[in-house]
Amino acid sequence: MNLETRIGKITLRNPLILASGVLGSSYSSLNRIYKSGFGAVITKSIGIEEREGNPNPSVFFLHEIKSAINSVGLANPGYKLYKEELKILIEKKVPTIVSIFGGNIKEFSEVLEGLDDLLFLGFELNLSCPNTEKEGLAVGTDPQLVYKITKEMRKRTSKPIWVKLTPNITDIFEIAEAAIRGGASALVAINTLKAMIIDIYSKKPILGFKRGGLSGAAIKPIGIRFVYDLFERFGEIIPIVGVGGINSGYDVIEYLLAGASAVEVGTAIGIKYPENKTNLFIQQIKKYMNEQKLESISELIGGAHND
Amino acid sequence: MTKYFHNSKPEMSKIVKIREEDEDTRTFFIKLPFTPKKPKPGQFVMLWVPGIDEFPIGVAGIRDQILELCVAKVGEGTEALFELEQGDLVGIRGFFGKAFRIKKSITHIIVGGGYGMPPLKYLIEEIIKGRTERDEIFVFEGAKTKEKLLYVELLEKWTKEKKIVFFPFTDDGSYGRKGFPTEGVKEYLNQDNKKSVVIYSAGPEKMMKILFDICRNYNYIIDIQMSLADRHMRCGFGLCGACVVDPEGLRICVDGPVFSKEQLERIADFGSYSRLPSGRKEEI
Repeated sequence: MNLETRIGKITLRNPLILASGVLGSSYSSLNRIYKSGFGAVITKSIGIEEREGNPNPSVFFLHEIKSAINSVGLANPGYKLYKEELKILIEKKVPTIVSIFGGNIKEFSEVLEGLDDLLFLGFELNLSCPNTEKEGLAVGTDPQLVYKITKEMRKRTSKPIWVKLTPNITDIFEIAEAAIRGGASALVAINTLKAMIIDIYSKKPILGFKRGGLSGAAIKPIGIRFVYDLFERFGEIIPIVGVGGINSGYDVIEYLLAGASAVEVGTAIGIKYPENKTNLFIQQIKKYMNEQKLESISELIGGAHND
Repeated sequence: MTKYFHNSKPEMSKIVKIREEDEDTRTFFIKLPFTPKKPKPGQFVMLWVPGIDEFPIGVAGIRDQILELCVAKVGEGTEALFELEQGDLVGIRGFFGKAFRIKKSITHIIVGGGYGMPPLKYLIEEIIKGRTERDEIFVFEGAKTKEKLLYVELLEKWTKEKKIVFFPFTDDGSYGRKGFPTEGVKEYLNQDNKKSVVIYSAGPEKMMKILFDICRNYNYIIDIQMSLADRHMRCGFGLCGACVVDPEGLRICVDGPVFSKEQLERIADFGSYSRLPSGRKEEI
């Protein structure tokens, strides 16, 4: 049995990728998650300059729906400093995708060009973070901008470019098509959903930024639907990476069947022993493949579309 | 009924009493909406001041539903907390992190500096509760001045009752001995000592690093447990990575904040670097 999977030119030892925003500020935590058995890791989104992010509370869990809400707001040390973390990851041979963000083409270009000389796997464009007022969201919901940014980045690097899509939109096809026309190497769906929690006793929004994004189990059916739709429309021309609420190996299988070539896992890792969870994911995937008499991951991709 | 504190949104809880420790340190007694499974010394909560900020605070004690948290005024969030009065609401998430592991029938050496004392006070209480005849407890506390020494009355009372032996230190000599508590520990260790010793410490990381280097080579010291809780945190449950230490990627909030000797040996950042909210590493 072979768990290897291909996302365009990138081949990974298995379909598990650590999602951006989770344990991604330090080479050491990214390396730890890779060593636990992931196929690759994605860094925290990196921008042109240091950002503190939003005030606390900026991340908390919602027990009753096994989900998390956050408004971290693109906290990052800036690409110049982050490069040092990346160098160590590369030295340690950790398959790494670098997530980048910017308010406009100029900012995206500076970050991409500033990092491109290092030999990591590729870029993920964060066009869709819901936790900042200006950057991110406005970009990710405007097909023209998505097209332009993707195209401009395509010109500037030979590395694969993944475009992460927001679910906070009426028509995802328009945006996906813009990314494809711009030269995206893969579509990543989905980012967090816009969300909010208000405390009824103090009568105040709990998040320091008031508004945030929802991740975790609650959004899995939504992610599955987006991946299914994207695969149906674009599955033959571009690989899709599924994200949203994956908390078991069986959830991974579900995303693969919907059409994902690989998946990103985030919220599920916020536990005492992430190593144990990675092992469990892999065992569950193998168990399923055994039962189904499957030899490779590719046999699963888009399997739910065979009417 | 005892309830597990789920890792979830803040549980709104009422401040029932405020005790002034010094001009910018207060103990808040906070009534949780239920009696939780008891936290262990070294564990912490995320304390939310509605509409302002949320920050980690070590548990200083608990009695049924009443949680004891000792807070120093150090920034916007804690300043806002100091504006609150009895009857006001705060949010509590927790209990987070790995606690001190209390060993039995040994010599317990507890070393606290400044705001590291509240969780250690709780630890001492718990050691006293479960002690055998063979347990000995030595407490070394250091602070800048007499006013800044926390729990002096209580620790001296326990000393009179022969429960512990207490050695206070101040930087300016205004109370106890002049100097650092690490010096007291060093002298103690240089005496003839054949009993197994465990060192427990919380406080400024620089002080703990010095203490660690003093203690690491005594073979009768069977463990050194130190709390590295004084770092920037966001989630508290191991998801965001704000508090990660290099090179193994240990997360202070779930893999710590209390680490063992064997773990501390492997944390290169210990006593030297911490992370700012942006993720940038800064020298301590």
